[in-house]
Amino acid sequence: MTPAKKSNGLPVIALTNIEKSFGTNKAVKGVSFSLNPGEVVGLIGENGAGKSTLLKILTGMYQPDAGSIEVNGKTVKFRNPRDSIAAGIGVVHQEQSLFTNLTVAENIAMNSGKGSSASTKFGIYRWNKIYQDAKTTLEAIGSKLDPKTVVNQLGFVDRQMVEIARAVSADAGADGSSLVILDEPTSVLEKHETEVLEKEIRKLKNFGAVIFVSHRLDEIMRNCERILVMRDGELVADLKTTEVNEKQLFKLMIGHDSRAEASTHKSIDPKETAAIEVKALTRKGKFSNVSFSVHSGRLTAIVGATGSGREELARALFGAEKIDSGSVLLAGKQIKSWRIPRAVKSGIGYVPSERKVEGIIGGFTASENLTLTHPGKSAIGPFLIPRARKKIAQDWFNALDVRPNDISQELGRFSGGNQQKVVMAKWLNSPELRVLILDHPLRGLDPGAAETVNAQIKRACKDGAAVILLADTLEEALEMGDQVLVMRDGEVTSSYDLAKQNPSTLDLLERMV
Amino acid sequence: MTAAVSKSPAGGNLKAKLAKAWQSVGPLVVFLAMFALVAIMTPTFLANGGVTIVASSAASVLLVALGQSLVLNIGSIDLSNASITILGAILLAMSLNSIGAVAPLIILLVVSIFGAVNGLLIAFTQVPSFALTLGTFGIFQSAALVVSGATTVYVKQNGEGIKSLYQSGIGGIPMTFALGVIAAVLAWWFLRFTRPGLAMTAIGKNESGAIFSGIRTRWLKVLAFTMSGFLAGLAGLTIIAQAGSASPMGLGSDLLLPGIAAAIVGGTSISGGVTNPLNVVFGALSVALVPIASAAVGVPSQAQSLVYGLVIIVTVALTLSRSSNSIVK
Repeated sequence: MTPAKKSNGLPVIALTNIEKSFGTNKAVKGVSFSLNPGEVVGLIGENGAGKSTLLKILTGMYQPDAGSIEVNGKTVKFRNPRDSIAAGIGVVHQEQSLFTNLTVAENIAMNSGKGSSASTKFGIYRWNKIYQDAKTTLEAIGSKLDPKTVVNQLGFVDRQMVEIARAVSADAGADGSSLVILDEPTSVLEKHETEVLEKEIRKLKNFGAVIFVSHRLDEIMRNCERILVMRDGELVADLKTTEVNEKQLFKLMIGHDSRAEASTHKSIDPKETAAIEVKALTRKGKFSNVSFSVHSGRLTAIVGATGSGREELARALFGAEKIDSGSVLLAGKQIKSWRIPRAVKSGIGYVPSERKVEGIIGGFTASENLTLTHPGKSAIGPFLIPRARKKIAQDWFNALDVRPNDISQELGRFSGGNQQKVVMAKWLNSPELRVLILDHPLRGLDPGAAETVNAQIKRACKDGAAVILLADTLEEALEMGDQVLVMRDGEVTSSYDLAKQNPSTLDLLERMV
Repeated sequence: MTAAVSKSPAGGNLKAKLAKAWQSVGPLVVFLAMFALVAIMTPTFLANGGVTIVASSAASVLLVALGQSLVLNIGSIDLSNASITILGAILLAMSLNSIGAVAPLIILLVVSIFGAVNGLLIAFTQVPSFALTLGTFGIFQSAALVVSGATTVYVKQNGEGIKSLYQSGIGGIPMTFALGVIAAVLAWWFLRFTRPGLAMTAIGKNESGAIFSGIRTRWLKVLAFTMSGFLAGLAGLTIIAQAGSASPMGLGSDLLLPGIAAAIVGGTSISGGVTNPLNVVFGALSVALVPIASAAVGVPSQAQSLVYGLVIIVTVALTLSRSSNSIVK
C-alpha cells in the first residue's frame, strides 16, 4: 500500500452516530464508521437508502441532527461545503456539477478552496498559474484535456474527468490525509471508459482515503477493500471484500434475493408492418444514413461509444432534434414536420437521460408529473379531475413500489430511482403507447430500482410497444434486446438479430471503436 | 416509523415551511396588518368610506396583476400590460363615442390581440420577454399618446352601462372590484383544474421538462400573454367606469409597478411556476392601501413609487427560494 501523505496513523475520517431527518422521514439513522489513510471503501445501498444524504453531510451541504465527525483526529463541524473542502474532502458528484459555461481550468480552480489564494495575486487571477495547475492535475489523472476548453463542448466522459480533477485538486491545501468521495462516477461512463477510471481510483489512494459509491456490485468488488452497505438509513454491514460475494451483497442491500429471469428473444413476424421504420435518416454532423425498423413487441438496443450519434438519433425520433434527410414511418405511415407534441400524440414515449432537467417537473407532485402527458381518466377534454388523478398515481405507486409511497410529494424530492419509476409510469399510462425510446433508463439506479424499471420495459414490450433502448452496458443491451444495432461515428456498423445470432460483448465492442 | 413525529426539523426545512405558509396565508396576513395599521392611524378612514376607496382603486391593479401573475407563472414577465390598459381605456372612450355599446367587446378583442402579438413574438423569435415587452411597452405608450392627442378623452355617450359598474355595488364594494375577484376565481380555477393551466405552471417550473412531456409550450406562452392583454383591457374598462374618461397621464397611467407589486405580494414567484390568483386579490388590496398607509405614517405622496419599489424588493428577497430545486436523496 502506498503511504498517504503526512499520515499520522489516525483515521482520515470517523463518524459517530450520525442522524439526519427530513420532516418525518429519517434519512440517516445512527451511522458510525471510520476510514484509515489509503483505504478504498465501497458504499452501496438502494436509492433512498440514505447514501446521498450521508455524503451531503460529509461534504457540508447538510448539517447532521446528531452525532459527530472527526477528521484526522479532530472533531469538526461543517457549516457549509467550503468547510468540508478546507478539511480536505473532495467529491465527484453523481450528477455533474460543473459550470458548463466556464473552461476546464476555471472549473478546477473554482473548487480549490484555500488553494485559490495561490491562483490570485493581490486579488487578481494569475491565469498562467491556473492553466498550469489545471494541466498538472489533469495529467496526474491521465487526461489530455486542454484546460482552456469550455466544458459545454466536452462529452460526458471528459466532463467526468474534469470532475475528478476538481475533487483531487480540492485537497491541495489540506493538512493530514484527505478523503476523496466518488459518488457513482462510472454510472454515466461506457464500459471501456470505466476501466480507465478504475485505474485512477487506485491512484487516488495516494491522496488519502477513498469512498467509492456505485450501483455496479462487480465494480465495487474489483476496486474496494472494504464495503459498507446501507439500507433504510442504517449501516447494515461493514465487511471485507474477501468475505462476501455479489449475491450476498445484493441480499444485504435489498433485503431479498434477485429475481432475474432467463431472457428470451422474440423473433419477427415477416407479414407484420413495423411499428417504426427509419429510412436513411441523416442529421448533419450527428448521424447519417441510419436505417432500421422495430416491430411491435420487440426491443432494439442501440450500442455505441460517446459520439456515436445514438443519443441524437433517439432524440430525433422523438422530434427533439432536427432531421436533415431521410424518413420515419410509423405503422407504415410517413410522418412529416416532426415535433415533440406530434410525436407524443402519435404514441411515442421518450425517457431522457437527463432526468432532472428533461424527465421531470421537479416542483410538481409525483401525481401531477405522472398524468401530465397522458392524463387518462384524470381529464375530460381540457378539464382535470384531481380525484381520478390521485387514483391513477396511487395505482402506479403500488405497482412499481415507489418509495416513499406519497403521491403528493414533490417529485424532485424523491431519489433518482423512484423518480425514474414515475417517469416510466408517465409514458406507460398511455394505452396507445406504440414506440418507447429509452435513453440510458438505468443510469444511476440501484439494482432494486433497475429491476423494477427493466420489468416495466419488458411489460411495455409485451403490451405491444416497440422499444428502442440506449443501454448503459453491452451486457444490458444483449440481455434486454431482441435486436442490437451497433453505431460508430454516426453510422450503423452492424445489426444483430438476437433470435438467430449470438454476438459476444467483444464482437460488439470491435464494431463500436 | 411513519408514525414518529420528527423532533427538530432542519433549518432548510423550516425555511421551506415558512415559504409554503407564506404562499397560502401570507398575502392575507399582510393585507390585514396594513388594514389594521391604517384603521388605527387614521380613525376617519372607516367612517369616511375608506373601504370603498381602497376597493375601487384596487380593481384596476388587481386585473393588471392577475395578467402579470399568469405571465410570471410561465416564467416570463409582461412589462407592457399596464400600457395596454391605458391604450385600451383611451380606445374604449373614443369608440364608445363613435360606435356605441358594442365598443367594449371590440376593444377587449383588440387588446387581447395586442397581448397575443407579444406572446407570438416571444414564443417564435425567442426574444426574452423582458426585452420584448419593454419594447412593446414603449410602442403602446406612444400609441396612447398619439391616438389621444396627449389629452383627456371623455366618454360623451353610451357610457352609462360601463359607469354603472363603478356606481353600483354590494355593501360599498363597487362592481369593478367584484369583476376583478370573479376574474381571479376564474384564473385560479383555470390554473388548477384545466390541462392548459397545469401545463402553464409546468412551463414555469421547468421548461425543458415541459417540452419533453409533449406540452405545446409556445402556444401556451401565446395564450398566457393573450390573457394578460385581455385582463389589461378589463382594467382599462374599470378606469373608464370610474373616471368616465381616459388620458395617457391620468388615472391608471402608472399601473406597471403596482401591478407587479400586487402579483408578488400576492405570493406569485418572480422565477415562475408559483402563483395563486386568489391571493393576488389580497396583494392588490395591500398595494391599494399603500398610498393611504404611507400617508398615515407620514410618507409624502410623491414617494409612493419608492414604497412600491421597496415592497417588490423586500418581498422577493424574503420569499425567493434560492435553492433552484430541492432534491433530497
